[in-house]
Amino acid sequence: MSVLLVIFLMWAVTYPVRWLGLSLGRLHLPPFWLSFLQFVPVSVFAALVVPEVLGSPEWPRRLVACMVGGLLMWRTGSLAPGILGGFAAYWVVRGVGF
Amino acid sequence: MRHPEDMTEIIPHSPQFRPAFWRGMRAFTPLVPGVVPFSMVAGIAAVQAGFTPAESIAFSLIGYAGSAQLIASQMVTSHAPTVLIVLSSLIVNLRFAMYSASLLPLFVGVPLPRRWLLAYGLTDQAYAVTMGRPVTEPSPAAYYAGAAALMWLTWQSGTAVGALVGAKIPSTWPLDFAVPLSFIALLVPVLQRRPQVFAAIVSAVVAVAAHGLPFRLNLILGAVCGVAVGQLMQRWQAKSV
Repeated sequence: MSVLLVIFLMWAVTYPVRWLGLSLGRLHLPPFWLSFLQFVPVSVFAALVVPEVLGSPEWPRRLVACMVGGLLMWRTGSLAPGILGGFAAYWVVRGVGF
Repeated sequence: MRHPEDMTEIIPHSPQFRPAFWRGMRAFTPLVPGVVPFSMVAGIAAVQAGFTPAESIAFSLIGYAGSAQLIASQMVTSHAPTVLIVLSSLIVNLRFAMYSASLLPLFVGVPLPRRWLLAYGLTDQAYAVTMGRPVTEPSPAAYYAGAAALMWLTWQSGTAVGALVGAKIPSTWPLDFAVPLSFIALLVPVLQRRPQVFAAIVSAVVAVAAHGLPFRLNLILGAVCGVAVGQLMQRWQAKSV
């Protein structure tokens, strides 16, 4: 698949959506759709990340590292310690020989 | 304190525009450390998906969509069909329509071509900073422009660095692991309430159980089930209160 095509399509599903609200005026979404949109990110992220981690050939290491990273992000409320801590945990588990 | 008639002043270089633009930028600065690693991961993810560094930078400049960039890169890596990549990105981007609709009152009186630029700069972070502006802010459109400009600079430099660095690192390093880690970072803050937690659990379980489906349809199926359970639970909670 062509990279240029992906880039163009990404623009096509990003920019017009941003522009929509500014051009159409106020969007009056029914409550059903508002609550639908509210659950989209959480569901998409979970459906993306969990099979990705568990489907990896080295999934036990990655699972441990993800739990450490997630815990750090939850406790500190920021991204950098979570990513660094997650990688650190990964190398520790790998170094120990699991 | 400014006069009320200044409120529609949005002309750059006008005496009202610059201070409001700087106020917006300053209000955004605390968010920069959180955006830097995220944008670097987006650059790394694009390179991992097989884009050249130049293509990754173009992807970020043109798409400029945060989590959708990550999702698209991740799906390109796992050879998902283009239709599904685009569909997933669209679903994740739908929130921008809500943001831009709720920002509309701020942009009354802003000329149309300038609104096109302001729409391009719309992100979760710029939106959040603008909605949290002081009530006394006389030029919210310029304030938004300042916040959006700093977000854009931070994001684009971060993805560029990520793309260039990511291309240099040997492939034996588990660099792709940065992507699930940053998705967890997106997931953690939204897991505050029970319906969200259950939506995530159901979505993950379904996506794992259905991993044998072709075209990465397990992602869509999991997400749909998660959204349905979350909504049902929220409704059930609202009734029992």
